[in-house]
Amino acid sequence: MSRYLYDGTVEGLLSVAARMLAESSEPEQATLDERQNTLFEDGVFIETDAAAAEMFFSRLRQEAPDAAHTFYFFILAEKEGMETSLLRYLILALRHGNKVNGNLADAAVRDIITVARKAQRELHRFKGILRFEKLRDGAYLAKMEPDHNILQPLAGYFSSRLRAEDWFIYDVRRRTAARWHSGTLRLGTIEQFTAPALSEDELRIQALWQTFFRTIAIPDRKNFRLQKSNMPMKYWRYLTEKQEL
Amino acid sequence: METFDKLQILSGAARYDASCASSGSRRDGSAYGTGNTSRSGICHSWSDDGRCISLLKILLSNDCIYDCAYCVNRVTNPVPRASFSAREVVDLTMEFYRRNYIEGLFLSSAVMQSPDQTMERMVSVAQLLRNEERFGGYIHLKIIPGSSSELVSRAGLFADRISVNIELPSSESLKRLAPQKGKQAILEPMSLIGKEIRNSIVERKVSRRAPRFAPAGQSTQMIVGASPESDFQILKLSQGLYRKMNLKRVYYSAFVPVNEDNRLPVLASPPLLREHRLYQADWLMRFYGFSAEEILSDDVPNLEESFDPKTAWALRHPEFFPVEINRADYAALLRVPGIGLTSARRIVAARRFSIITPESLKKIGVVMKRAKYFITCSGRTFEKIDRQQALLKSRFLLGDGGDTAVKKPPKQLILSGLFS
Repeated sequence: MSRYLYDGTVEGLLSVAARMLAESSEPEQATLDERQNTLFEDGVFIETDAAAAEMFFSRLRQEAPDAAHTFYFFILAEKEGMETSLLRYLILALRHGNKVNGNLADAAVRDIITVARKAQRELHRFKGILRFEKLRDGAYLAKMEPDHNILQPLAGYFSSRLRAEDWFIYDVRRRTAARWHSGTLRLGTIEQFTAPALSEDELRIQALWQTFFRTIAIPDRKNFRLQKSNMPMKYWRYLTEKQEL
Repeated sequence: METFDKLQILSGAARYDASCASSGSRRDGSAYGTGNTSRSGICHSWSDDGRCISLLKILLSNDCIYDCAYCVNRVTNPVPRASFSAREVVDLTMEFYRRNYIEGLFLSSAVMQSPDQTMERMVSVAQLLRNEERFGGYIHLKIIPGSSSELVSRAGLFADRISVNIELPSSESLKRLAPQKGKQAILEPMSLIGKEIRNSIVERKVSRRAPRFAPAGQSTQMIVGASPESDFQILKLSQGLYRKMNLKRVYYSAFVPVNEDNRLPVLASPPLLREHRLYQADWLMRFYGFSAEEILSDDVPNLEESFDPKTAWALRHPEFFPVEINRADYAALLRVPGIGLTSARRIVAARRFSIITPESLKKIGVVMKRAKYFITCSGRTFEKIDRQQALLKSRFLLGDGGDTAVKKPPKQLILSGLFS
């Protein structure tokens, strides 16, 4: 059994995977953890090798695009402490190609896919429940607090949907933002966020939406439990229809 | 009248239309326009009745000249009347869409002066959206029975989905409850739409520039419980619509009494469990390879309340079981209660790597409390498979593997808009 350590970055993790592949070591025989730098930590620290990491990833994309996709969403999930499973998953992916995602009887594969699927599901949910507000300068702003770090794919999605508009998406908890301005998308961090003024007709449109939201429900079929299970309350904070105007 | 009041009246009048799907169409946004559509469809919110909100669902007008017994907007009902202008609908759609409230527009209408005059105005809304606003989002247009084929064809060029409501499951009921809507006025546009969709698919294979006609297909809706048809009649009708008319979806809407009328049954509450069972049976026909005649028969014309239709079928067909998980083909797996489309697909994929063990079955997503009576895993049984129907039925009813919907009758159970 060999114990590997890495620096906690995605590149670092891929470097370990690249090394194991080069040495054709068995993933069953290895564990991987983030280096804590304590005095008595044992294990082999593998230096991050950006070039090797990139090569490994491009090979993954070529030979198992589905697994590369799963890996991407796993990373967005920001899940810690699953490095050993991830390592095994990556090695298996290069061994079996796209078919690896069918191997649900394998615990590592199943765990990685489960986590990745959660991130994917939240991305899909936010395509629906993200709410933009119109600002005084005509641009649109959406705030959100997703569990997973989905800003990048979400912004990519809106850049083909709301192409003619200028907009921002702001992840309140991570303090990261995406900006779409005259046809280009940029991602960055925001240190200090000050709420900009809304456009004049914004509250009127919001009130119209609330009116629609109220009347579209059939009174004889009220079912708040179903509503909450489809749309958990943790997401209500930024939903226009759930605000008091 | 203020837009606010109109919106209140005309969305309130549209809420009995069950369709909410925004799926089945893929259009990339144009460089200068707003909006695209996504194949899987997207739910944007869930209203207080738990149903998904995907489209701005409104009537253009509720000022109706017809007198259908079940309809809240019929001419003899003393409700406030309102009509939108085309511009008002376009502006609402665009403002809501840019804020990501909706996937697009669902536009229906009461019959104002005539079917053609109404349809003409509805088509012009869609035309404004597509041509002036360069709107690339989803549009669902309802076809008014009796409108000219030329207008139906135009509607299909602007809309992603078009639908004609069949309203009631038989022409006798239609005659009795909706005397102004004839069977022919409903079926003619349906078959015209079906033909246009097929033509457009053929033409687009030849030239990618050929216009798309209703790329998300057509659907319909019928009211359940306002007339005496059995579930078997309803399912056979749906099966015919799927097979012959190529419909994407048939929606069932539990009858909500909104009028007093001696032609209508008196119900304590809308028949929601029946609606739920019909949707389950509908899913069996569309995705699980069942035919209406397998689900019901003249001797058993109605779906059971206490079992979902798949379990009911399994209990009637002990000779089909047990199904061996490691050998059975996909179609046979789909017939096992507790195994859905996803777990059947996963079982087939996982078998390529290794033999499936009982432990991994559960992790794959199989609902074991229901499936365990009907499967073996490498020859191993889970429960002594009892061929005595009565005993098995009672075990299901006692809650071991039974349907939770029965123990607590559902107030509301409706499709998510995600499937087309």
